[in-house]
Amino acid sequence: MPQSQSTNTEVVGHSQMAAGRTYPNGNPDAGFNPPGVKNTDSAVPPQPRSRVVHDYACDGPAPGRIAFRWTYGSNVAAKNNDPRVQVMQYNEDTFILRQNVCVHWEAPFTYLLFGNKGALLIDNGATANPAHYPLRETVDAIIARWAKARGRTSVPLTLAMTSGEDIAQNQGLAQFAGRPNTTIVPTPLAAMKDFYGLLGSWPNGTATIELGDRAITVIPTPGAHKDGVSFYDPYCDFLFTGDILFPGKINIGNDRDFVTSLERLKAFAAANPVKWIMGGHIEMMFVPGKYYPRFATYKPYERLLEMEPYLIDEAITYAREVQGKDMILIRPDFVLLNGVSPDQRTREWPEGVPNIAPPRPF
Amino acid sequence: MDRRTFLAYNAAAAVPLSGAGVAYAETLGAGPAGNGPTIDFKSNLPAKGSFPDKWICGSSSLMDNTDPPWQVHWYNEHTAILRQNKAYSYEAPFAPLYFGNDRILLLDEGFVQLRNDCDLRGIVDATIEEWCARNGKNPAAMELLVAFSHLHADHYAAVNQFADRPNTRYMGLTHEEMVGFWGMTNFPEERVTLDLGGREVLIWGSPGHVVSEFAYYDSYTQILYTGDMFYRGRCYISFWDIWFDSMKRLIDFVDTHPVTHVMGCHVEISNDDVDYPYGLTYQPDEAPVEMTVQQLRDTFEFAKTVTEPGIYFTGTVFLCNETRSTTTIDKYPYRYS
Repeated sequence: MPQSQSTNTEVVGHSQMAAGRTYPNGNPDAGFNPPGVKNTDSAVPPQPRSRVVHDYACDGPAPGRIAFRWTYGSNVAAKNNDPRVQVMQYNEDTFILRQNVCVHWEAPFTYLLFGNKGALLIDNGATANPAHYPLRETVDAIIARWAKARGRTSVPLTLAMTSGEDIAQNQGLAQFAGRPNTTIVPTPLAAMKDFYGLLGSWPNGTATIELGDRAITVIPTPGAHKDGVSFYDPYCDFLFTGDILFPGKINIGNDRDFVTSLERLKAFAAANPVKWIMGGHIEMMFVPGKYYPRFATYKPYERLLEMEPYLIDEAITYAREVQGKDMILIRPDFVLLNGVSPDQRTREWPEGVPNIAPPRPF
Repeated sequence: MDRRTFLAYNAAAAVPLSGAGVAYAETLGAGPAGNGPTIDFKSNLPAKGSFPDKWICGSSSLMDNTDPPWQVHWYNEHTAILRQNKAYSYEAPFAPLYFGNDRILLLDEGFVQLRNDCDLRGIVDATIEEWCARNGKNPAAMELLVAFSHLHADHYAAVNQFADRPNTRYMGLTHEEMVGFWGMTNFPEERVTLDLGGREVLIWGSPGHVVSEFAYYDSYTQILYTGDMFYRGRCYISFWDIWFDSMKRLIDFVDTHPVTHVMGCHVEISNDDVDYPYGLTYQPDEAPVEMTVQQLRDTFEFAKTVTEPGIYFTGTVFLCNETRSTTTIDKYPYRYS
C-alpha cells in the first residue's frame, strides 16, 4: 500500500509499523516535552528585529478599555486569594495597577505609561514590603514584556507621585531604590518643585515629563496635600488627579488651595481634551452618595474608577460651599470633608439625589 | 423549635437559676453523679488566672495574616477567653467561655456569621472537648448556653452556627428573648444567678450603650464582664442617663463584691492611650483588655462631671456621649495652612 507523502509516520504511527500499535491519542511514552520544542512565547506579540517607534499622535483619545472589574477584597480578609497587584492593560502603552484591598485598605491605583523614550510610574502603592505587595517585580515584568514587543534593550523609568507625602501612595518607593536606569522624583516639596523646574512658578506653572512623543504635563494641584500634583496624558486624554479628585471621601488639606487647584484643573480641561479623570482610590459605592468606611476590606459594590470631566465643575461648586467651614458634604460621585475627622458622618442628604440603600454583604 | 416554644420552654422550667438549676440538670441525666468528678468552684476564691501578654491583634497586610481565626486563651483551668482575629473581623471582640460542672456559658460570638468563613462553632466544640478530656467529663452531657453581652451583631453574628448543636440553648435576638433567657422580670435592676453546676454567674441589666445589655460576674474568677458599656476604647453611649445609672449599679456591685478584673468586649486604645480609629485592622501596641476596679471607679468619678454630649478621655476609656455622627477622634493628618 503506497504511503501518503503527507503522513508523518514517525509521529502518528500506523498499523504496519513494527510495533504494531497506533497512537491515535498521542504516545505517552514519548514524553510530554520532546526535544526540539522551545518556548514560543506566543503570548508576547511578534518580536521585532529592530526598535519600533510608536506613533502617539491620534485623533481624539487613544483607544483603550478597562475590560474587567477591579478586585474588591473579601469578607474575610485573611482568606483573600486575589492577586496582590492587579494589572489592567488599558492599551498597549498604558497600564493601570491596583493594590489588593486585603493587603492595604487604601487599595490605591498606580499608573504605568510608556513612550518611545521611557516609562512613567505614577504613584507606587501603600505597602513597602515586597513580599506583601510586589510592585517592583510586577512593574519590571510589564516593562520587560513591553520592551521585548517594542525591540528595546532598556527602558528608562521615572517614578512620580501625585503626592510625595501621602503614605497611601509613596510606600512602594523603597522597592525601587537602586534600580538601574531609574529616576525618582524627590519627595520633599522644595526638591520636587526644583525637579520639575517649578521653583519660581509653583503653583501656577506647569512642567513636562517627556516620555518620547508622549509628553506628560505636570499640573500643581495642592489642596488635599501640600505637595499635590496632577498629571495629564495627551495620548489617552487622562487626567491623573490622585487625592484631589477621586470617587471617594476627599479630605481637604487646605480649602483655599483646594478650590484654586480645581479651578486650575478646570482651565486645563477647557484647553485640552480630557476623556476621563483617573483618581488614586475608589471609596464610593455604585449607588449615588454612598461610600465605604475607612479600613473596609470588602468593597463588592464599588463605583467605577473613571470620572467624567464635568465633575470638576461640580467639585468646584461644592468646594466653595464647604470653604471656611468644618463640615462634610455628600455628592453622588464624591464626598468632601473639610476640617473634620475622616470618619465624620452626616444626616444631610443632597437634594435631588435618590437615596438608595446599597446591598449589604454578610 | 420555633421561637414561641423556645420562649415558653425557657420561662416554664429551663432557666437554671440557683437551686432550681440542680433539679433541672438532674432531669436531663447530666447531674454531677453521671458526668465525671465534681469540680469545686467555691473554695480558694478568687481562682487564679492570667491574661496573655499580647493578644492576636491583626496584621499590616491582612491577606498575609497567619493567626488562627480565634485565639483561645486559657485564663485558668476552667476558664477560656477567646478573641476574634482582626483579619476576620475588625471588631475583634473577646468572648469568655466559663465551664461549670453541668453546663458551659459562652458570652459573645463574634462578627462573622458563616461557619465556612470563621468556624467559631468548631473552635468552641474543640475547646469544650479539650476541657472535658482534662476533667473526665462527657461533652455530650454538658449543656452549652450561647448568650451575648448585648444586642449588636459583632456579638451575636455567629449564633446560628450553634442552631443544630445538641444540648445547646441560645439567646434570641430580641430584647424580650434576651431578658426572658435569664428569666428576668425587672430589667435592669434585677440580679439573677446562673448556676453552671457549682459555679455561679451573676447577671443583671447594664443598658446605656444599647437598651439590651447585661453585665456578667463570674463568682469563680471574679471577673466582671461589662460588654460594650465599659471597655478599653470608645464607649459609645447612646443614652447617657441610662448608662450613668448602669455605672451606678456597677459601682454598687464592686462595693459589695470582690472583683479581680473588669473586662470589656473590645480594645481600641494603645498602651500610650492613643485611639485606634474605628475599623482599624492592625493594633500592634494595644492596651490590655482587663481593667482594674479602680479604673472603673475613676471613670465613674469622671462621668459625674460630664454634662454635654461629646468625646471625653477619662484616662482609661473614651466616653463618647451621644456622639452619633463621629466615631473617631483623629483628624486628617495632611491639613496645612
